[in-house]
Amino acid sequence: MENFLLRNIDNPNSADIGEYEKSGGYKNLTRALGMEAAEVLEEVKASGLRGRGGAGFPTFMKWNFAKADPKFPKYLLCNADEGEPGTFKDRPILEKNPHLLIEGMAISGYVLGAEHGYIYLRGEYPAAKDILEAAIKQAYEKNLLGDNILGKGFNFSLAVHQGAGAYICGEETALIESLEGKKGQPRTKPPFPVNVGVWDMPTIVNNVETLSNLPLIMEIGGEAYSKIGSEECPGPKLFCVSGFVEKPGVYELPMGTNLKDIIYKHCGGIKNGGKLKAVIPGGISTPVFPADGIDCAMDFVAVPKAGSMLGSGAVIVMDESVCMVKVTYRALKFFEHESCGKCVPCREGTDWLRKILERIENGFGREGDIELLLDVVKVMIGRTFCPLGDGAAGVVTAMIKHFRNEFEEHISTRKCKLSEAN
Amino acid sequence: MITITINDKEITLDQPMSVLEASRQAGIKIPTLCNHEILKPYGGCRLCVVEVERMPRLQNSCTLIAADGMVVKTESDVISEVRRGILEFLLINHPLDCPYCDKAGECELQDLVNKYGATAGRYKEEKRKVPESRKDQIFARNMERCVACTRCVRMCHDVQGSSSIAMIGRGGHTRMEPFTAESFNCEYCGNCLTVCPVGAILSRLNMHSFRPWQVDKEVETVCSYCGVGCSLIAQVRDDSIKRVIPKLGLGVNKGLLCSRGRFGYEYIGSEERLKTPLVKKDGELVQSTWSEALGIVADKLTEISKVNSGSSIAGIASSRCSNEDNYVFQKFMRMACGTNNIDSVSRTGFAAAQKYFEDLLGQGITGNMVDGLKHSETILVLGGDPTNVNPVLGLSIRQAARDGANIVVIGNAGGLEKFKTVQVVPHVFEEAEVLESLLLAVSKEKGVRGERPFVDKELRVLADRAPKTDVEGFEEAKKALLESGSTSIVMGMDLVQRTDGHRLLFTVAGLTYLLEARLYLLCERPNEQGLIDAGCVPEMLPGGRPINISDFRAKFEAEWNGTLPENDGLTILEMIEGARNHTIKAMYVMGENPAFNLPDSQSVKDALSGLDFLVVQDIFLTETAEMADVVLPALGWTEKAGTYTNLERRIQLQKKVVEQTGGMEDWRIIAELSNKMGYAMNYSETEDIMREIARVSPLYRDLSYNEIAQGNCLWPYHGEPLRGEVNEVPGMHDVDKEYNADFYLAVEKPLFHSGTLSRRSEALMKIYPEPLLKVGGSTAAKIGLQDGDRVQFTTSSGTIEALVAIDDSIKDNRVYYSNNFRSGGVFSVMKFNIDKVTNAPGIEGCEVRIKKL
Amino acid sequence: MFNDTVINEINEIRAKYPDRKSALLPALYVAQREFGWLSQEAMESVAHALNLPAAFVRGTASFYSMFKHKPVGRNVIQLCTNVSCMILGAEKLVDFLKTKYGVEPNATSEDGRFSLVIMECIGACGTAPAMLVNTDFHENLTEKSLEKILDKYK
Ligand SMILES: Cc1cc2nc3c(=O)[nH]c(=O)nc-3n(C[C@H](O)[C@H](O)[C@H](O)COP(=O)(O)O)c2cc1C
Ligand code: SF4
Ligand code: SF4
Ligand code: SF4
Ligand code: FES
Repeated sequence: MENFLLRNIDNPNSADIGEYEKSGGYKNLTRALGMEAAEVLEEVKASGLRGRGGAGFPTFMKWNFAKADPKFPKYLLCNADEGEPGTFKDRPILEKNPHLLIEGMAISGYVLGAEHGYIYLRGEYPAAKDILEAAIKQAYEKNLLGDNILGKGFNFSLAVHQGAGAYICGEETALIESLEGKKGQPRTKPPFPVNVGVWDMPTIVNNVETLSNLPLIMEIGGEAYSKIGSEECPGPKLFCVSGFVEKPGVYELPMGTNLKDIIYKHCGGIKNGGKLKAVIPGGISTPVFPADGIDCAMDFVAVPKAGSMLGSGAVIVMDESVCMVKVTYRALKFFEHESCGKCVPCREGTDWLRKILERIENGFGREGDIELLLDVVKVMIGRTFCPLGDGAAGVVTAMIKHFRNEFEEHISTRKCKLSEAN
Repeated sequence: MITITINDKEITLDQPMSVLEASRQAGIKIPTLCNHEILKPYGGCRLCVVEVERMPRLQNSCTLIAADGMVVKTESDVISEVRRGILEFLLINHPLDCPYCDKAGECELQDLVNKYGATAGRYKEEKRKVPESRKDQIFARNMERCVACTRCVRMCHDVQGSSSIAMIGRGGHTRMEPFTAESFNCEYCGNCLTVCPVGAILSRLNMHSFRPWQVDKEVETVCSYCGVGCSLIAQVRDDSIKRVIPKLGLGVNKGLLCSRGRFGYEYIGSEERLKTPLVKKDGELVQSTWSEALGIVADKLTEISKVNSGSSIAGIASSRCSNEDNYVFQKFMRMACGTNNIDSVSRTGFAAAQKYFEDLLGQGITGNMVDGLKHSETILVLGGDPTNVNPVLGLSIRQAARDGANIVVIGNAGGLEKFKTVQVVPHVFEEAEVLESLLLAVSKEKGVRGERPFVDKELRVLADRAPKTDVEGFEEAKKALLESGSTSIVMGMDLVQRTDGHRLLFTVAGLTYLLEARLYLLCERPNEQGLIDAGCVPEMLPGGRPINISDFRAKFEAEWNGTLPENDGLTILEMIEGARNHTIKAMYVMGENPAFNLPDSQSVKDALSGLDFLVVQDIFLTETAEMADVVLPALGWTEKAGTYTNLERRIQLQKKVVEQTGGMEDWRIIAELSNKMGYAMNYSETEDIMREIARVSPLYRDLSYNEIAQGNCLWPYHGEPLRGEVNEVPGMHDVDKEYNADFYLAVEKPLFHSGTLSRRSEALMKIYPEPLLKVGGSTAAKIGLQDGDRVQFTTSSGTIEALVAIDDSIKDNRVYYSNNFRSGGVFSVMKFNIDKVTNAPGIEGCEVRIKKL
Repeated sequence: MFNDTVINEINEIRAKYPDRKSALLPALYVAQREFGWLSQEAMESVAHALNLPAAFVRGTASFYSMFKHKPVGRNVIQLCTNVSCMILGAEKLVDFLKTKYGVEPNATSEDGRFSLVIMECIGACGTAPAMLVNTDFHENLTEKSLEKILDKYK
């Protein structure tokens, strides 16, 4: 398949509007503005597009809810918080192909009747901020943003809002809180953002990659788009592969590409001919697959069936040299650090889990620690305010399920063999 | 209509609410920690989980809106297990120092743990350590005990609107801190204390001094500080008040208090309380006995009334005393001393305004429910800062602002800085013009209403003036008023204390009338309304009945068994003048301190020193008492029973809480004197007096203590018709104002002080220990002042030295200084002119020079 | 307090949102640039410029880990040690920074040249281990390359 999301990306000037237009950029916006918003929405429906931010929620449905709400103004927020560890798929779009996103947002705004858009960009991407702002400026200059875009009577303003280092702000209601100048702590749902979002108005939050698919849908039509990749979740998907593979990086592949193929065909297999031990398929928050569990189509339907989640499509590959206890410990350190502190099970649970894991990893594990970990996890699962706490608990459960022997060995030998070997 | 089933019980709800609220309504208890009735749901602690049929996981009942047909279970093994688990989580980092913690016994965490049997026994790691902070004078902060429920912060931010504390940090390291992490430097309402479920914020007033279960009694009573009349609970041990707390849902304040109400109670137990009568001998006040002191007073007053006539005696009543005290006092002055010279310091503000408004618009026009503020679309605030004068009333304005109301502020009002929609700050000498222009603009749109001939007439007169509209915010203010479907006007007493005060009051009356607004008068003292109702004004008998109407006279003469004095009575400033020119020979002051609380206090003192005889009845040896011939020790708040009428005109019962020996109730002192002077008063308890008031006063008709104790008696409770407007109100007259000073001195009404009582409350003195000269940013810049500079400021009548505090909420060239501290108040250097219509002192043109030292 | 230029800058930011509170995060970035870190004065200035309660400003600021809550050195190394970087040797780099430059995690070297902040994922996992020095990305780090890179930051 030809690259679409990453089209032009090797061109050193790819972020410039001229380069973007040369390869057909903004034609799709023109096309969309020439249609009724409802017609464009039909195309989105036909495309079967599902959100790329992690949950895979059908985009058409979300948009339909927001459109149905009679309140105005409506806001379109682009989730560029990309905080899930292992994820770096939105970054190339933001840094190398910003006009694709801008075009996608303008089309989306048109469909939704949203006249204001914000890109919530993670603080860790300072370069992307400058690039995006420059691109937005160019788009304004060409009346691709602003008032009465291309003379079609549609207004759309767009601004970048920079986060400041908080993973939880990727969660859509926390993102909204953060955009409102508060701590990024999730809100109670319902009401959902599509009805009561930022500044209490109907708000649509979509991931960078999701919105960047809009020009493609306009280009080839929803029908043709739906033929790409898996039947139930079509379209191209960005997979970002890191860890022990020969060629780590971001790959644009049809949704549903087999994980095994991603690792061995596209990424050149395990680094230095090593032996595969485990793969995290969708970012740190998704349950780990053992080496023999990777024969799995990578989409929002098949991965859950195999016991994990597609998440952000962040594939982390680990070979035999990696200590799974240590990975678990590091993951929990992350969750503890990022827990927003709102709800007790997550705030205290991640703290406790991290402390037990730290002890085990450092050779101070005690008998019964594995059971204790599972007990703590039990209080967390299904009880936390948002999926962050669930994710943390799920990681521990999966790690113990597949690598219990490593935990036991740490406890009985009072050391971490692999860390010592390194 | 929504019907849901909770624990097999069918519940019908008449309005949407959460499952938790529905359960509460049905008497089913669900454990909570982060939820609090006063606050919006938060959903953080997850203790309130319930099972809901056809919903996948356990649901948070506090955030789940009850939907028709929902079937809910609030207890099950699974639920208990979750709650136990959550509690275990909460304990892992908790210090478990209950034996040392003041909260033990009323700690929600302790109670929950007892119920669900959680322990932290499996937790072997280190606990988070945070040392207790005592950097604040009032609060101790123990963040190890904090369960991060954020109730305190939500209280401070969403209800109090002080926004002085925040949850600092993220995740497990989150802790509540004030901005500086040290002193709270806040409004010190202490409402955060009310909502903290654990011992994480504690009051230092009673640290380790008692346990919640060790109080001897808890008495529900009413605050003694201001005219809001908040309900509170006084907790007593060993016959002294240990703590004051509010009660959820109770009274005007519904669980909230301000700093004065919560922390200001210590004055009552002060060492400086008067315990015995004092009599002046050889120029010195010396201890005496009741019989000697009362004998002297009775003889002297009898003599003067015989020799000089009753009208050479004057009485000053008190807005800190009860309805019963004041009723008995005016009856005594009129019937035993034979004088209508009876007034109070309230004449310089509330009483003057109240009378003017009632004359123009009818009785009761100024009494509106505080709660009504919350339902306003526009609130016009002028003449003072409601959040300082009547803090709990101020909260309703802030609430309205949060709910989207327009808050139009005229003049300075620091407590509304973050809540106002528009502010208009007229020059000192242009207030009347600007307000009149506003009124004019409104009246142009609204047309003639034709219901109040006097107002309509004056409005026509105004229409000929050239409007002054070139003030910042004028148009916006006008728009907000005109577009509002429900308007409230909140007026502070600064507006009365103007040389042309009646003109300002007229504009307020006109706006009230044209916009059909609810009018609220800020009311600094607890019984300014009751004082008027009781007849402590020269021109009116109890119930606001004009004394010069013969029907009323006759009625009261029959009730009181005697004849009312003929002469018109004097207002307070006229009495002072009378003392100065010796037409007033004797003065009886009950619970008031005119030598300090009236403007130009030095000259008031001079006048008083010319009296033949001065009696002061008080709980402290005040500046006025020091000058008296006889000082009679009275009882104060919580030491005696009585009713108070708040600014809404709600009559409330103050109860006796502690025993005090030495003093006597104000009414009892007066009654004894009266009996000695030959006018019989047979009251043995306050209820006897209320029975009489209920008979003679149309406003309090048929009221009993039982009924009053319910807390919802607003006069006229039993439907007695109110007096209409008076048709002959003096018309408006121009006042020459030629001001061109750089700075003007004004009176600060600090949040933490009230009158001279608060200077004897240790806690309030810690919060605000000495008077500061408050200056706005532009004033400071103009003369190069910095926070903390020492300055000398001088008016035509004196000089005061003070430290400067820069306050950016002061937008003009006024500088503010308070009149609450012993060291000398602002009134000592302020001269005044009397407004001919209201008889109130005008003090706005007080030019001041400031010199940096 | 801010000078007029900064106030104007903040007012411009404010105009991007329908609500002044929303300008808080960007205004804190401005304050951080002006004061070097979010000192009390910096936060008070922001509170003043946006007419927000100072405690609220501090509450929000304290939530975000990329705001500097204490003074930092001339250059801030933000090194990722999350899983993808960790398994490819990020921890060794932390040790290396300690021994070679005397900078501990979340502290500043004595000469004030470097502060080290341990980051959660910075979105450079495909080129791990990675770091940001001030606002520049540096990827595929080894001890050797690290040394060379840091040479540029004085
Ligand atoms: C803890 C947490 C972190 C998240 N982080 C991100 C993120 O960094 N980027 C993102 O696009 N979505 C993230 N999400 C998902 C968003 O909440 C939301 O579902 C998404 O932005 C919707 O966009 P989509 O429909 O286009 O996928 C996160 C969710 C959770 C619970
Ligand atoms: S006392 Fe009142 S103002 Fe002060 S922190 Fe507590 S809630 Fe806020
Ligand atoms: S101090 Fe008290 S009220 Fe505030 S968050 Fe902590 S436990 Fe809750
Ligand atoms: S508002 Fe007034 S009545 Fe209420 S607590 Fe404060 S001082 Fe007392
Ligand atoms: S009371 Fe519902 S979560 Fe705390």
